[in-house]
Amino acid sequence: MPIEVSHLSHVYMPGSPFSASALEDVSLRIEDGEFAAVIGHTGSGKSTLVQHFNGLIRPSQGKVLVNGLELSDPKTSLKEVRRQVGLVFQYPEYQLFEESVELDIGFGPKNLGLPKDEIAARVRQALADVHLPEELLQRSPFDLSGGQKRRVAIGGVLAMEPSILILDEPTAGLDPRGREEILSLIQGWHRKGRTIVMVSHSMDDVSRLAERVYVMSQGRLAMEGSPAEVFSRPDELLSMGLDLPAAAKLRAELAKKGFALPKGIHRMEEIETALLAFFLKGGAA
Amino acid sequence: MLGDITLGQFFPGDSPVHRVDPRMKLLLTALYICLTFLVKDFIGYGLLLALLLFCTLLSGLKLKFMLRSLKPILMIILFTFFLNMFFAKGDRVLFAWRFIVITEESLYFAAFMALRLVFLILGTSLLTLTTSPIALTDGLERVLKPLKLVRFPVHELSMMMTIALRFIPTLLEETDKIMKAQAARGADFDTGNLLQRAKAMVPLLVPLFISAFRRADELAIAMEARCYRGGEGRTRMKILRLQAVDYLALLLFLALLAAELLRQRLL
Repeated sequence: MPIEVSHLSHVYMPGSPFSASALEDVSLRIEDGEFAAVIGHTGSGKSTLVQHFNGLIRPSQGKVLVNGLELSDPKTSLKEVRRQVGLVFQYPEYQLFEESVELDIGFGPKNLGLPKDEIAARVRQALADVHLPEELLQRSPFDLSGGQKRRVAIGGVLAMEPSILILDEPTAGLDPRGREEILSLIQGWHRKGRTIVMVSHSMDDVSRLAERVYVMSQGRLAMEGSPAEVFSRPDELLSMGLDLPAAAKLRAELAKKGFALPKGIHRMEEIETALLAFFLKGGAA
Repeated sequence: MLGDITLGQFFPGDSPVHRVDPRMKLLLTALYICLTFLVKDFIGYGLLLALLLFCTLLSGLKLKFMLRSLKPILMIILFTFFLNMFFAKGDRVLFAWRFIVITEESLYFAAFMALRLVFLILGTSLLTLTTSPIALTDGLERVLKPLKLVRFPVHELSMMMTIALRFIPTLLEETDKIMKAQAARGADFDTGNLLQRAKAMVPLLVPLFISAFRRADELAIAMEARCYRGGEGRTRMKILRLQAVDYLALLLFLALLAAELLRQRLL
């Protein structure tokens, strides 16, 4: 079942002099099994938007329908919503608190009221899902390296076995290798059929992984479409304080030099094939 | 989730009340508190009310915000009121049932004490509503300066207060974030008995402490990197100077204090 948002608005601290509008009339639909990316400048409302998806913020205006659950209805069980929709915050390693990795990953399943052996099984599965060895189970999460901590924290969300996984800047602050590992893990979970919603600043990550891109700007949904569609509108993106993926920039540079590659190219592999096609056709600079 | 907590309730503005020097404001608040305790009848309260209303109107604050500051201590006010009403002594009985006796005097006394609390809170709220926390600690440092003679670490104390105030919003934001992160893992902070709720705080407090210590460490290094070494010989970017508005305010408060004392003497 998809995520359906219709005419959602949100105001922080309404009625006080500090009131600020974070979302204005946002409508979108994320299909099952889709890899969606939400991009936008800092303060564009993307985090506020995704926090609506698992009921951390109840919609005050508009509707959010997740897996058939109406989130604006106060009778909807938030626990059920959170079981189905996992949300990994930015720098999730700062939420670790237990004595051992095992207990920390087991925190979510325990809150769901699962029996002990089920919790143990889920912890092991989650650990395998984030590619960490079982030796770590009894270690303190605070003794691990930065990348390992982050994977344990993500494992803590995966252990709830959500069908929709939301990740807010999952690669922020990681070194290139840690980044690569996390991204390929996310790709793997998507291939297994999970719906993924990734909030990101990195246009390269988005262009590589996402099937659909939602661009937020000043609380509004400014653009929506496939990466090829979105990244073929560079001027609008730049005016919103966003950037282009490296491959799209390269395409623009090549176009200036007279190599007219098709618009909408945003991945390096595409540049390669397009250049080959260009030369085979006998085009010249 | 923590949106309804208003700590550091400063409301920015540019009214004469906002512009009064923080040192003067502290002194005026002290005078105001003295006045609240000197008042012996409701006419005196009328005087206080007039002063409070005048300052509030001048400050441009909405009365609603002033009254909101009473909310957290409403229970204490009611408790004092009922305690005094039932247990203060008096002769003219208004109501008696078993051991509960309410007399005219006790009712008067109860209302009087409750009003004193209300006036104390409203007056001090006006101070915190119109003075930025930084200005307040700045003023406090200057007011406490004489204590340096007895080797009291005034500068260190005010620096600690400044830092603490500076980090309240940061830590609140962090708390909010960790609360949400744990709630996303099914943590429940709102239901259950007292013990269960206390236990539910562990996943919140452990990460919060860790991040507070990390921030403290980073701040200490950042301050040392900029050669901070305490109060000796430190100059200020904003030097506090008393202006006409400060003396006017002092005059007003002193006049009121004198008027009240005189009235009590004569009548």
